[in-house]
This record gives sequence, C-alpha cells and structure tokens, in this order.
Amino acid sequence: MLRLFKKDQILFWSDKQAVALSFLLPIVLISLFAFTFGGFGNNSNSSEPTELLVVDLDQTPFSESLITALDTAAYFKVIKVGFDPANEKVSTGDAPFALVLHKGLNDSSIQKKPLPFELLYDLAKGMEVRMVRPVLTGHLTQLTNSSSQEIPTVRPPEKFRLELTSLVGETKEANLGLIQAVCGTAILMLLFSVSGLGASILEEKENGTLSRLLYSPISANTVLFAKMLSTFSLAFIQLSIMFIFSWLVFGLDIFINLPALILMITCTAFAVSSFGIFLASIAKTRAQAQSLSTLIILIMSSIGGSIIPMFAMPAIMKKVAVISVNYWGIQGFFDIFWRDLGMVEMLPKMLILLGMGAVMTLISLRFFNKNVLKLV
Amino acid sequence: MIRIEEISKSFGDNKAVDSISFEVNTGEIFGFLGPNGAGKSTTLNILSTLLKPDKGRIFINDQDLQEHKRACQLQIGVVPQEISLYADLSALDNVLFWGGLYGMPKARLKERAMQALEMVGLADRKKDSIKTYSGGMKRRINLACSILHDPSILLLDEPTVGVDIQSRNHIFEVIEKLRDDGMTIIYTTHYLDEVERLCDNIAIIDGGKIKAQGDLETLGKISKIKDVLTVQTDTLSEQVRNAIRDSLPSCSFSSPATIELECTNIADDTCRLMDVVRESGVRIQSIDTRKADLESIFLKLTGKNLRD
Repeated sequence: MLRLFKKDQILFWSDKQAVALSFLLPIVLISLFAFTFGGFGNNSNSSEPTELLVVDLDQTPFSESLITALDTAAYFKVIKVGFDPANEKVSTGDAPFALVLHKGLNDSSIQKKPLPFELLYDLAKGMEVRMVRPVLTGHLTQLTNSSSQEIPTVRPPEKFRLELTSLVGETKEANLGLIQAVCGTAILMLLFSVSGLGASILEEKENGTLSRLLYSPISANTVLFAKMLSTFSLAFIQLSIMFIFSWLVFGLDIFINLPALILMITCTAFAVSSFGIFLASIAKTRAQAQSLSTLIILIMSSIGGSIIPMFAMPAIMKKVAVISVNYWGIQGFFDIFWRDLGMVEMLPKMLILLGMGAVMTLISLRFFNKNVLKLV
Repeated sequence: MIRIEEISKSFGDNKAVDSISFEVNTGEIFGFLGPNGAGKSTTLNILSTLLKPDKGRIFINDQDLQEHKRACQLQIGVVPQEISLYADLSALDNVLFWGGLYGMPKARLKERAMQALEMVGLADRKKDSIKTYSGGMKRRINLACSILHDPSILLLDEPTVGVDIQSRNHIFEVIEKLRDDGMTIIYTTHYLDEVERLCDNIAIIDGGKIKAQGDLETLGKISKIKDVLTVQTDTLSEQVRNAIRDSLPSCSFSSPATIELECTNIADDTCRLMDVVRESGVRIQSIDTRKADLESIFLKLTGKNLRD
C-alpha cells in the first residue's frame, strides 16, 4: 500500500502543470467570487455608474434639467434614446430598464398634478429593478424638490409618482427562476460531461488505442472529428433530455418555439462539444485536462450566468460574460422561453455560438497535432 | 517484401535511428533485436507510418511508403506492444472495430473476424468482454485485430510480454502459420528463445545502428563466438596442464580440474583433447559442450544483455 501511495505521489508531483493548476484553481475561484460580490479592494466608490436609458417625450426645459441633473448624479450614467429604441432594448434584454419622461411632465408640474414618470423593465431583471428603483425615486424626489427653486410651480415631493411597466414577462406563466436554473445548470453540467468525453482522447493515447488508430488508414483529423461528433451527440441528447425533463416535471413550455429551441440546442451543443475537444487538445495528460476543465468551466459558468445569474453581476462582469459559451447559450434560451423572440432576433446568438465552436475547433486541430499526437 | 534504405530519425539531439538499412524477404520472419532504447520501436513506428523518417526510404512490396502511404497502410498489420483494445467491448466487437477501419465490405469483415478469432483459438469466447480475459487471451485478440484485413506484412512489437505458456505457444503457432501462408513478419522481442525458434533472419540494433544481421550461423561468424567444450577431470598437475596447452593453445583452465576449450571444429577439437588427457593418465569426470547461442552473440556484439 505504501508503495502504491509513493508511486501516486511521484506521478502527481512530477506533472508540474497539473500541480500548478490544482493550486491555481481555488485561488482563481476565490478571487472571482470575491470580485463578483465585493469588487476590488474596499473602495465602495470604485463601482461604475448604472446605465440609465432615458426617453424624454416632454421635451421641455424642465425635463431637460431633470435629465441633466440625473446624469450628474454619481449613481447614473444617462443615455438619451427614443421611445421605440428603449422599448426594443428592454424587450430584447439589452437593457434592464428605461425611464420615460412622458409628455405633460412640465404641465403636470405647473398644474400640481402627479408627475408622469414611467420605468420600463424586464421582469427577468426584477432584482436589478428592485435595487435601482429606490435610488431612482430618491434622486427624482430630490431633483424635483431642488428644481422647485427654479421652477416654483413644481409639485411637492409627496405627490411624486413613478409608474412601473414590465415589457417582458408580465403576462408569462413561466417561472423565471426555473428558466434560469434549467438553462444555467444544463450548460454547466454539459460542459463537465463533454470535457470528460473530450479527455477520453488522452485516455486513448495513454492506453495505446490512439496509436493503433493512427496505424490504420485514417487521418489524425478524422480521429479528432469522430471524437467531436461523439461529444456533440452527447451534448445534444443531454440538453434535449434536460429540457424534456423540465417540461415533464416543472411544466417548462418547451413547445413555445420548438424549431428555435432545436436550433439553439444544436448551436449550444456544437459550441460546448468544441470546447470539450479544445480542452483535451491543449492538455498533455489526463491530469492536466481534468484540472484545466474544472478551472475553465467554473470560470466560464460563473461569469456566463450559470452559477451567478447575470442580474447579480457588476457591470464589468456583464461585459466579460460575452466571452463564455454559457452566456450566449443562456441568453439564447431566455430569448425562447422568456422573451418570445423570433428566429431572426435569435440568429446573432446562434451565429456567435457557432463561431465560438468553429474557432475552438480550429485551435483544437492545431494543438491536437502538436500535443496529443506526440506518441513516441 | 520490405526494403529499408538508410533511414534516420532524431528527437532533438538524440539520434534514435542512425542510417539503418535492411531487407525482409516475402514469407520470412525477421527478428529485430536490441536492448531498451536501441531504436527498435522508432524503426517500427516509422514502418507503421506513425513517424516520418528524417531521411531514407522504405519500400513495402516495392511501393514507397511516403509516396503511397495509404496503399502501404492497407498492406501492413501492426501488433502493438500495449494491449490496445477497448476493455468494455467484446472480443468480436473489438476485432470488427479494428478490422472495420480498413474499409472491408461488411460480409467479408464478419467472415474474416470469425477466421481471425478461430486462428487465435478464442472463437468460443467471442461475445465475452475483453476485461474478463486473461493477459494471454488479450494478447491473442491483440494479434487477431491486426490480421483481420489480411495484410501481407505484419509488425509484431513484443507480442508475448506477460503471456502464459499456453497463449505464448498459441501465438507462436499463429505466427508460424501466417509465415507459411506467405506473410512477411518483423518480430521484436526480449526473449531470445523466441527469436531462435521463429526467426529466419535477425538484425541486432544498438545505439540506433545495426550491429549485425543474418541468420544465426552468420551472426555467430560475425561475432566470432565459438562453441565451448568443458571437461571436468581429477586435479590436473602443472605438467599435464602444460602438455594440454602445448597441444591445444586455445585451452584455458577455470579451475585446477576444469578444462575449457574454444572450438573451431567441435568434433575434431574434442577428439584431440580426449587424446591428450588420456595420454596423461588423467580421469575424465564429465564433458559438456556449450553451443554459440544468440544470447552470447548479442552480448558480444552489444556489450549488453538484451534486458539491460
């Protein structure tokens, strides 16, 4: 037993990259979660201002002065847009909310009627709205009070009213949490599954069957693509089963746009299976592949919304999220189950997933020949 | 037939194979011997198309291996040193899988699979998972997978490592039958008795170079190793020893009662020694002859035991 223990120790410590990754993994994850929830350092002022789409339908000096004042507040970065673009951005998930200053704002102020503000939002971003609403209300209250010095006819603050209008999800029976849980978890688990299957290339290398495959009249690329096909089919079946299970057990309406769902599953499965092969190709040993896959999957899933929902992320993390397969997969499934978008609106996300898969496949081909085929 | 012309292969500064040439005739078993790290596996990997030589050419049945890689691959079967099988599949499924890579028609593939399994004596266990097989049985399936596509050339890389006697004999019988059917075979092993039993010709490689090649008799001549006659007697006096030395200068005495004679012609030399000993009145207790074997030839040529 001691000999076996000693042998295992020697094997582990002799693979320096695997050792480094084994220690790097917890450090990176701790850093990631600390950043996500706490930001860098202790300086609370370092957080970026929240982008606030503002639609000015009133077009009066009063509405202009309110917008200017909102923009100078540290919490908001105002972006002026028209009503339709604002509506579209919120509807498609590109913006969490938009503030509408309705026509008659100035008149209401003069006539001492309730000021017609409206906040358009996506119910899927409910947590962000709940966080922003009191801050926005406070600012508007303060601004309308201070404006009263310049515009004496302004309504007293107690008569201030902010209407909330959900553009997405208001009438939906679907459970937002369920969609997040199913899509996020499905892609996370899928990544683990395909990385294991991808790493079987390295197992074949270690037990000699890869050499034997290469003695036969088939090319190395054929071996890689065959493995990729296996991982793709596994990914497709696994995703399909997860959605069917969610339909059967939790009542997720998978028939809401079945062709789009099948296409999105196909694109996600392709991107994820390419990722599995990519991992196996850049690693030289199975130990390296295991450590690398755990590290990359957890990071991608954390920043991509599988572990931490996107609405809970700081602004910078939302920007970083676009590098992960999880982000595009989850957003694509949200488009189907939550936003009821058509195929055309979903097409960019599908193309991005296919593009990511294609890039990883090309890199895999290069590294497969360099790393995995070093047989002798 | 296989013709290798001055192939070399280096890995960094390490010259694994250094300008080696040899020929293997059709229907011949060619033993490829060398200590670990001598360049055997590199040569086999080049022959099996896994590696490209830095220089030199290889002809498989007169076709250039580099120029007609696929055509040559179809003519070559490789039995790797590792048991390169899928343990969770049955023997039949393994044989069908590996044979299927060579693009055989389905019916022919099935027919050949059964023939190969019968040849290695495991047709009755074809449906059993490989993981239930003994080491020797796995080796036999390893061999069966390599001959399914009916290659004209078979490369065997230590095919009997860790094999029980029954399986070993079975493997020998299969190899001999394949040779009798006209297959050209290159055989590497650490077991010299296997080479002596199976091989028609032998090449001894060390440090990436071929030290000698030919049949056993040729290798004996090249290595200049002679048969040794050992005679145990009563204690020999100095006078008797001098008399023997005068008559047979190649005699030596490993003990006061042991005469050793390196023989040029073992029959003639034995008679001459017997005459001298009898004339001196010494009583002979035992006579032993040691023929020049591959082990001593190998040791002489490489300065190493095969298992070093």
